Amino acid sequence: MKFSYNLLQSFFKEKLPSANELAEALMMHFFEVEEIEKLEKDTILDIDILSSRAGDCFSHNGVAREIAAITGKKYQPFDTKIRESKQEITERIEADVRSACSRYTLRAVDNVKVKESPLYIQQRLKTCGIKPINNIVDITNYVMLETGQPLHAFDADKIEGGKIFVRYAKKREKIVTLDEKRYELKDNILIIADELSPIGIAGIKGGIVPEIDANTKSIYLEAGNFDPITIRKGSQDLKLRTDASLRFEHGISPELTQIAVDRAAKLISEIAKGNVVKGMIDYYPEKAKETEISFKIDELRKVLGVDISLKEVEKILRSLEFKVKRSNGSFFVIPPVLRTDIFIKEDVFEEVGRIYGYENIEKSVPEESVIPAEKEEYFEVKDFCKNLWQSFGFNESYNYSFINEDGANCYDIKKLIEMEKPVSLEFKYLRPSLLLGLLKNVAENEKNYQDIRIFELGSVFFKEGIESTELKKLSAVSTVDDFYQMKGKIDMFLRKLSGKSASYKETEKNSVLNTRRAAEVLLNNEEIGFLGEASQEMKKKLKIKREVVLFEIDFEKIVGAYESVKKYEQILKFPSSVRDISVLVPKNEPYLNVLEKISKEGGAMLRKVDLFDFYEGKEIPKNMKNFAFRLIFQAKDKTLSSKEVNVLQEKIIKALDKVPEWKVRK
Amino acid sequence: MTSGKISKIKERFLKEVEEEKDAGKKRKICKKYIEEDLASVFSLVKNLSGEKRGEVGRAANELREFITKKMEGEKREEVAEKARIDVTFPGTEPDLGSLHPLTVLQKRCEEIFQKMGFVVAGGPELENEWYNFDALNFKKDHPVREMQDTLFAKQKDRGSLSEKEKLLMRTHTSPVQVRYMENRKPPFRIIVPGRVFRNETTDNSHEINFYQLEGLMVGEDVSIANFRAVIGYFLQQLFRAKVKLRLRPSFFPFTEPSFEVDVSCSICDQKGCSVCKQTGWIEIMGAGMVHPNVLRSAKVDPDKFTGFAFGCGLDRIAMIEHKIENVRLFYSGDLRFLKQF
Repeated sequence: MKFSYNLLQSFFKEKLPSANELAEALMMHFFEVEEIEKLEKDTILDIDILSSRAGDCFSHNGVAREIAAITGKKYQPFDTKIRESKQEITERIEADVRSACSRYTLRAVDNVKVKESPLYIQQRLKTCGIKPINNIVDITNYVMLETGQPLHAFDADKIEGGKIFVRYAKKREKIVTLDEKRYELKDNILIIADELSPIGIAGIKGGIVPEIDANTKSIYLEAGNFDPITIRKGSQDLKLRTDASLRFEHGISPELTQIAVDRAAKLISEIAKGNVVKGMIDYYPEKAKETEISFKIDELRKVLGVDISLKEVEKILRSLEFKVKRSNGSFFVIPPVLRTDIFIKEDVFEEVGRIYGYENIEKSVPEESVIPAEKEEYFEVKDFCKNLWQSFGFNESYNYSFINEDGANCYDIKKLIEMEKPVSLEFKYLRPSLLLGLLKNVAENEKNYQDIRIFELGSVFFKEGIESTELKKLSAVSTVDDFYQMKGKIDMFLRKLSGKSASYKETEKNSVLNTRRAAEVLLNNEEIGFLGEASQEMKKKLKIKREVVLFEIDFEKIVGAYESVKKYEQILKFPSSVRDISVLVPKNEPYLNVLEKISKEGGAMLRKVDLFDFYEGKEIPKNMKNFAFRLIFQAKDKTLSSKEVNVLQEKIIKALDKVPEWKVRK
Repeated sequence: MTSGKISKIKERFLKEVEEEKDAGKKRKICKKYIEEDLASVFSLVKNLSGEKRGEVGRAANELREFITKKMEGEKREEVAEKARIDVTFPGTEPDLGSLHPLTVLQKRCEEIFQKMGFVVAGGPELENEWYNFDALNFKKDHPVREMQDTLFAKQKDRGSLSEKEKLLMRTHTSPVQVRYMENRKPPFRIIVPGRVFRNETTDNSHEINFYQLEGLMVGEDVSIANFRAVIGYFLQQLFRAKVKLRLRPSFFPFTEPSFEVDVSCSICDQKGCSVCKQTGWIEIMGAGMVHPNVLRSAKVDPDKFTGFAFGCGLDRIAMIEHKIENVRLFYSGDLRFLKQF
């Protein structure tokens, strides 16, 4: 928000520090000054007033009080002394406040001379981005800049009847605002109305009917305290944000209305030569209460971590205009009435802390008891997975958590979670899988690379019925590996992770994969994911040229299988014996069946079975394939004699030969 | 025949061998000296008498040994020459793969905080309104809820749902503070690295999703002075330099007091550069003492316990560290970028 250096200066007799020095001090004790702009006769300080202080510091008065507390310079409040005429205002007008307004204050000024306002007012308004109009309007705006209280002036002679209403609009009621825009109102919009029609949108903008013009003689000066939520919603509905609505939205002190109306009446009587009518209409059913906050000095010291003295705390709080009582190390304080942000002792601690200066708090190593640092297992497994896939030559990618409509159509759209008003349609749905992002990565990188290996570990989202689910997945794509090379990597990965072997089952349920060339991955007999080739359809859709093998694994399921301490098996001392067996089986016979038969017959002495050759084609019967195995026999407690090994080998051969259509080659 | 004559033969041999470059030819010279020159010497030695025969014979034997060694040396040289490789030829690099720069940074932060006894914790990215706002002291219908552009999930009859049923993409990692505390007993020291979301138009420094590192320390005696010590250590380790830190007042609904943390610019040594926008300071995190209402949300007694919390953007730190000009590169999946880490 823009502040005028000159207007801030008007609250002090002493000369303020330069704009740059002031900015530095404000930054360290109040809020950041984002920009300083030197004008011909003034300087703009653009201060980033955060919403906690909007209530009192969307005003020069609020900021000036801060400056006083920070610099120690003496603040002097503005002059609100008025000379009033004899006639009572109550003889002219009444206010009928129906809703959403905690205070409504009205003064009347007669015999005003509407003309240009003095140069200093015009300049200060311009500094703060407000266009000067005439002395009456300018003074209301100027007083808003001073006090933070939005005000409005009506031409009293243009008001119909003797009553002003604060009420919600009736359906279809219309108003034309000062900037000649027409609004049709709904019944959630708060308005100011005379007995005939709306004359202003409360807290947002005035209506054109009672506009101040060159012939205006008598005016009403109005300041209300309107309900923040009503103003905020109204302003959103009408798409009309103004300097006034901005201030009301954040909530301001009801004490301000009278201060502001008096100040404006005072300036108008001086500048526009008006006579202020005696008294004011002041609807204020429930006066703002002062709340006392108490705390012990030790509590404050504990939070700040400094040994600040009682005296210093008192001095700081008094400089901020708190009322302070203390006894036996306890404080009883009352925040200044215009502050709308102080309710609890922690709020007071912040006041002390920032004025004392966070820079003056020395570091101190915590004395808390030592808590053993651990990582949640989830993070340990995450690191483990990432490191392993990196070592397999894969590059880690982070893709968006979102997909567009096109991507969503690859899935059952009913199961996807849709976003409300995303900034771009690219982010319309939450991703139900990591693969779409990874395949897009392949498509993009194909321009620069032939060999692409990418993995990602991240969250995916979907709906099951009305339940929304978030799951972590681990996925990878490769243009380098074929199905079996990728399978080998998954095997190695899961074995390193869990100490157990994975198993695989042919699957058809995945639309992203080529059918008959895809597998379900199982660990401990539980399905944990799938592996296969990206389907031709998918590749065509994403314009991918190369073959892509991919997998997706349910990360949560492998976290449970993680074995942080690897099992050690003693290295056997006794020598091993090797025998080869070659067996012909029908083409559609799964490898696993043959392996299982050999393992079963070999028993405990058969340490290892390696497939060292695979052949199909010429030289062997059609519709058959040949597996050549190397069998390693070894005992824990002795050297196996060649006779013993031969017996085992014979046993295996016999069992294989027994299966119809299988034939051991000798 | 004297031993002097044998020395002469040696001199002649050495000269002849030195002049030849080719290892094969050198070997031939050796062979020639053994088979011709020395053979004739040995045939003469036989005829010499007594003492002299011994002396000349020894000298001749020594020379033969010398030339034989030389010959073997040349043979090895010849074999090596044939097997010579071009050491300037390109090596074959392994396919190592890479970790995402934000993974690497996240891990480094975790390690620094683990040394100080902080536990790494996590929580969901698809969060509900209660944890993201209400539990963190964001008041309903107050403009502070608009400080963060929230991405809400589309839900039927959203108005009729409870705060815990209304879903959104978490706008910060702070909900994990409450999620972590509510099921455990203090003291706590945690950090929470994770993905967060803002419904903002993307540009070089804004992304719809990005990473935050949240921290929380709660105990019976935790102060701003402690915060200075913990964060000071973290920033020194993070920037690998003796950086200074500066706390400025700020406002967040979930902390009171609240402050902004600046770190001295280690890139220009506070002389002023583009990274610190000529100020010598880089705004690095928002922080503060945990608001009593947040402790209450997590069923922790605010009269007994205090604590600090902080949050910083990992993307921005990685951008400063690697001088990356565009945040969107992190989410591009571009191997030309990823393979550099």
